[in-house]
Amino acid sequence: MRRVSAGLIRLLRAAGRTAVGFSAHAGGIGLLTARVARATLAGGVAFADVVKQAYEMGLQSLPLVMVTAVLSGVVTSQQGGYQFTGSIPLYVLGSVVASSVVLELGPVMTAFVLIGRVGARITAELGTMVVSEQIDALHSLGRDPVRVLAAPRLLAGILVTPLLVGIANMVGLFAGLVAARATVGLGPESFLYGARLFWHSWDLLYSITKAFAFGFIIPAISLHMGLITRGGAEGVGRNTTTSVVFMIITVLVTDALFPPLFLN
Amino acid sequence: MIEYIGLHKRFDVPVLAGVTLTVGEGETLSVLGPSGTGKSVLLKTTIGLIVPERGDVRVDGDSVFTGGRRALQTIRRHVRYVFQYAALFDSLTVYDNVAMGLPEGAARTLGRAELLRRVSRSLEDVNLDPALVLHKLPAELSGGMRKRVGLARALVGEPRIILYDEPVTGLDPVNAATVNNLITSIAEHTRVTSVIVTHDVEGALEMSDRVALLDHGRLRFVGTPEEFRSSQDPMVRAFADRRTAAAAALELVERDEDDTENGASE
Repeated sequence: MRRVSAGLIRLLRAAGRTAVGFSAHAGGIGLLTARVARATLAGGVAFADVVKQAYEMGLQSLPLVMVTAVLSGVVTSQQGGYQFTGSIPLYVLGSVVASSVVLELGPVMTAFVLIGRVGARITAELGTMVVSEQIDALHSLGRDPVRVLAAPRLLAGILVTPLLVGIANMVGLFAGLVAARATVGLGPESFLYGARLFWHSWDLLYSITKAFAFGFIIPAISLHMGLITRGGAEGVGRNTTTSVVFMIITVLVTDALFPPLFLN
Repeated sequence: MIEYIGLHKRFDVPVLAGVTLTVGEGETLSVLGPSGTGKSVLLKTTIGLIVPERGDVRVDGDSVFTGGRRALQTIRRHVRYVFQYAALFDSLTVYDNVAMGLPEGAARTLGRAELLRRVSRSLEDVNLDPALVLHKLPAELSGGMRKRVGLARALVGEPRIILYDEPVTGLDPVNAATVNNLITSIAEHTRVTSVIVTHDVEGALEMSDRVALLDHGRLRFVGTPEEFRSSQDPMVRAFADRRTAAAAALELVERDEDDTENGASE
């Protein structure tokens, strides 16, 4: 009995620590967002910096986003073709691919690409700046690191992620169409007929709304984790890893909240 | 003028335990002390990079911690901090790094030609050839050159106060002497107020108007280099004679024990 209660106490302590840690991070991200908003509304964020970040996040991520989108569309089409052949009209495959790509795979796979390519880099970059006193140097030179470093990255993320998701959706859909033709012989007209059959105009808005959410979550978390880094190179490595895990979990949880909130 | 008023700061242990010190206008003050004794923490409180639990810092009469954000921005405009490892911005060239030492918007108000002239002059003041280094990234510079670029960044804005955080740590003796000479020359020519945190006792005694010794968060000594050399305090003697602080502390404990025994026997 004593062993059970000791184990239970340890479990409760761990849960408590996790809850406190999560709350601290959520509060930190909230404060960072407020400071970015204030700097933006005051007109203090350099447009050139936003454009530079948008180029690095958006244009440089585009090839990988497109590759991921192609693979998502192809796999969805092939697996759907395997499931539907001989059971239901094949043109339904068009609807399955369209819905899967637009509602889910386009936004989520794009988010994962950005987490790996952009989020981890932001945390490592800012974390390194913290431990090498470059953030202190910015303060000492009268520059606000939130305005100079954080705001351009957060704004760029919110702007480019919906564009990337839109491109991923189109590329994934096209790849699915080509794969359907190649594997199960479904012609483009039938594929597109099926895609339109169960299409709702709301689906595109849903997809872009997810994209905006992910476009905020990824830079917000990565910036926060970078700016709270302590402990030299080891701290940078630790925070970068934690940041990636944090971003993945938050994207997945947010993704899971979308259907009950927006689809039912 | 800088006034440190009753500063208290602790991390896991107290690092500042009621430090009160005034640095006069145009004065060069060096702060010595064992590692981890709060020297850099003291320096960083001057421009609010570290916030103490108690106490205040006043720069030319303005409070760093109670004056508000605008007052702090005004203070930071006239104070420059030279970091231990220079803290140059990795993705910016030497030119852009040094230009960061000017107020924001200087590029617009001064124009490119004037900006280049000021940056080049600052680099020349620290014995760097602008033609050779302007377009280099910090990673392409030696340690000594990075320190001097950090110094150029501090000078370009013509500050009233410069704070040096271990300016010669990690440098070979030749480069260390070069940096010390630069600090002395800057102080002489510009009458800037300088606070230097350093482990270089010899350099500190040569270039400072006064020297302060910080030990376990408290000021153990404040005085001129001559007073430092002639002080009989064991810790000061240890620094003056460059013995270890542990040996000096042991001598202090043994002396206290002897005094106690002598007092008891009488």
